[in-house]
Amino acid sequence: MSALGGKAAGGDGINLTGTIVGIVIILVSIGITAVLGASLIVPLIGIIIGGALIAFGVHFVPVGGAPAAMGQAPGIATGVAMLAAGAGLAGLFGGAWAYETTGDFLISIIGGAVGGGLMMAITCLMVNATYVFAMGIPAASGKVAKDPITGDTFPEYKSQGTEGHGLPFISFVGGVIGGLIAGLGGTIIYIELLNAYSTGLATMMEAQATAIQPLAISLAGIFAIGFFLVNAVLAAYNITGTIEGPHDPKFKRVPRAIIGCAVASAFCGLISLMLVMNIGM
Amino acid sequence: MTVKMEASAGKMPHNTLMAYGLIVAVVGTYLTYLNVLTGVAIFSFFGGIAAVAALWWGSDTIKHLCSYGLGTGVPSAGMIAFGSGAIAMIVGTKFGMASPIVTLILAAILGAVIGYTANNIINMNIPVMVMSLMELAVVGALTMLGFASMATGSFQFKDLIVGSMSLSVSSAGTAAGGAQQFLVTAIPQYGNSLIGGAALAVIFFLGALALQHPFNACLGPNESQDRTLMLALSCGFLSMIAVAVISFVFVGLLAGVVNLLISLIAWFYCYKTYIDLSKRDAYAWLDSKPIIEVGGDE
Repeated sequence: MSALGGKAAGGDGINLTGTIVGIVIILVSIGITAVLGASLIVPLIGIIIGGALIAFGVHFVPVGGAPAAMGQAPGIATGVAMLAAGAGLAGLFGGAWAYETTGDFLISIIGGAVGGGLMMAITCLMVNATYVFAMGIPAASGKVAKDPITGDTFPEYKSQGTEGHGLPFISFVGGVIGGLIAGLGGTIIYIELLNAYSTGLATMMEAQATAIQPLAISLAGIFAIGFFLVNAVLAAYNITGTIEGPHDPKFKRVPRAIIGCAVASAFCGLISLMLVMNIGM
Repeated sequence: MTVKMEASAGKMPHNTLMAYGLIVAVVGTYLTYLNVLTGVAIFSFFGGIAAVAALWWGSDTIKHLCSYGLGTGVPSAGMIAFGSGAIAMIVGTKFGMASPIVTLILAAILGAVIGYTANNIINMNIPVMVMSLMELAVVGALTMLGFASMATGSFQFKDLIVGSMSLSVSSAGTAAGGAQQFLVTAIPQYGNSLIGGAALAVIFFLGALALQHPFNACLGPNESQDRTLMLALSCGFLSMIAVAVISFVFVGLLAGVVNLLISLIAWFYCYKTYIDLSKRDAYAWLDSKPIIEVGGDE
């Protein structure tokens, strides 16, 4: 319940024991994959990198939550899960379309990044239009006195009793960067899973690669959505729901989110790749 | 977070509720196997009952987790439940008859790892975090498995991915006597199945919405357990209606009508009970009426 407005539980530091256990979980996941299907190591590493990128990207996105909807805090007035799902799915569509058209890895992940960034740019623009022209509030950050990019000052515009309001330029830039990075990560996960499933399922089902293609695309898509939501929510837990963008002090917590999401992605990746490993059935 | 916002004390203990939810969910999913035993598909609706039982249990878990201030809002818990549940469920269906049990175990392990990550690496330090995320992953996986078995009549991977068979005819040469022989093979079509057609993605979000809504709508100082859980049942059956519509494609007209009727009746009953409970808990209840058009002279 964000209404309580409590502080983050564990401060900004890194929990050493937890991190070491996490790294062990990553290594064990890679080890099990190596034993059960050596060719799946590359997809698993792609998934881990993708998950870490999603965690990194989410920290750039200015998430305001319920206070922002009431004009009492800066940022986009919704939760991380919704924003990340929006940017991630837009990125996935872009990347999946580019991969189907070109089949080129680099162009596809750039396509995914542009899709996510574009979605965030449109969202930020329309959010600011709503704030300025519909709610009648100027953009002012409560965390810094000056916009690091434009140099605009904020305290004169900040209403008393609020943490700032609207969407300052630095938050806008952060949102677009966040969308780019998160879309990139999501697309990497999708393409790695798609490649693993296209070849793996064709062997497993003894079917032709073209016949199995719709199945592989659907499976990779559903799994990619699952990965995206798990990583986005873990990153959201790290920032306790709201962040203003890259200038927010909470941004310093980003390392532990990257480690945490890499651990979660490694284990989720292991389980999702078990689908094409030689067990069960 | 040290502040624990006490939601309603709760009439039914959480563990009892979890036991009921878990048993009904697993047994209900297995009951869809009656389709195979009897040869008709009308037992598919047990999958929906299983999914609703899991959602009912999950709503109470969300209440426990979100009564500690997460800061991210209640919906995020529903999203992470289904994100991890979807992964466990799809892989779990690979294990034939053992699928529901394997799904349960895989989801529990996955939830435990994610819970440990959230609690110890991201430093949430919430006492119920690991247990809650474990339960939520199981809820997500069993809900998706239940709805998938309701839509297709089966909980096994090979039935979820094959939509229909098409026949391929090729000439096998001329046999003795001059008769032309043909080799007919059945080729499975993957594109029009539950997973291949991505109808599972619809089930994903139908379940996630039904899981995240009840506590999000009922939270507050006046929250009472029976009302929240009745809303959970109502949302579950509402999602079940949509799954029943999807099921027409896979299980045929008769079983589809059975699915639809059961979910419609159950939803209507639960929604009506929920409104009654809301009236019970409300300080006052005013039925709004249409604004009366007043004539020109008055």
